[in-house]
Amino acid sequence: MATKKLLFVVRALPYKTEASRLALTHAIASQSVEIYLKDGDLVEASIAFIGDGVMNCLKNQQAMKHYGITSIEGHMKNTLLLDMKVMICKEDLDKFGIKEDALLMDAEDIGGETNAQIVPFSEIQKEMESVDHLLFC
Amino acid sequence: MADLKSQTPAQVLDVLGRVCPYPLVLTKKALEKLPSGGILKILCDAPASAEDSVPRFAEGKGYPIEVVKLAESWEIYIQKT
Repeated sequence: MATKKLLFVVRALPYKTEASRLALTHAIASQSVEIYLKDGDLVEASIAFIGDGVMNCLKNQQAMKHYGITSIEGHMKNTLLLDMKVMICKEDLDKFGIKEDALLMDAEDIGGETNAQIVPFSEIQKEMESVDHLLFC
Repeated sequence: MADLKSQTPAQVLDVLGRVCPYPLVLTKKALEKLPSGGILKILCDAPASAEDSVPRFAEGKGYPIEVVKLAESWEIYIQKT
């Protein structure tokens, strides 16, 4: 029995690229692959938002209005609903002047019990060093 | 095999309208919290989840499962053992 740890590091802006949406959907989908693995093997996925990627975490995105597509917010909430570890880089938030109250930090409205965490980059780096597979998006 | 659907479920999980992989991952989460012996009733309309992934997961865990096909959806009963 083994647990493979994945970390999706999202650096892309939320729109005009599929990168962040694919990172979130792959992280979510990874939570179902254990049914195809050997007895007891598990996959644990975490997500870190750094650089421009922190923009994915903003609340009240108007994607339908501006781009005619669904918002990233639904995917963000689903990761929290599934109790995934979601980290947002503090230094990058500070660089953009984004405060915590502008961010989607929980998914209580859909029954989520886990909150996103604003962490210093050093903590994300530690996570990067501890996982089996690192995926930059 | 025990007749699970005739017993009172400890929890009903409604994943109607949700597509794969959500029915499975939400089922996993619900089962983690369910006390041993409890029955989880799942309302699902995603064919791949109802007919493949959720039964495969329950069988892998050794949990008794019953899948009832309705007109356009499924009722799935899983007993956590």
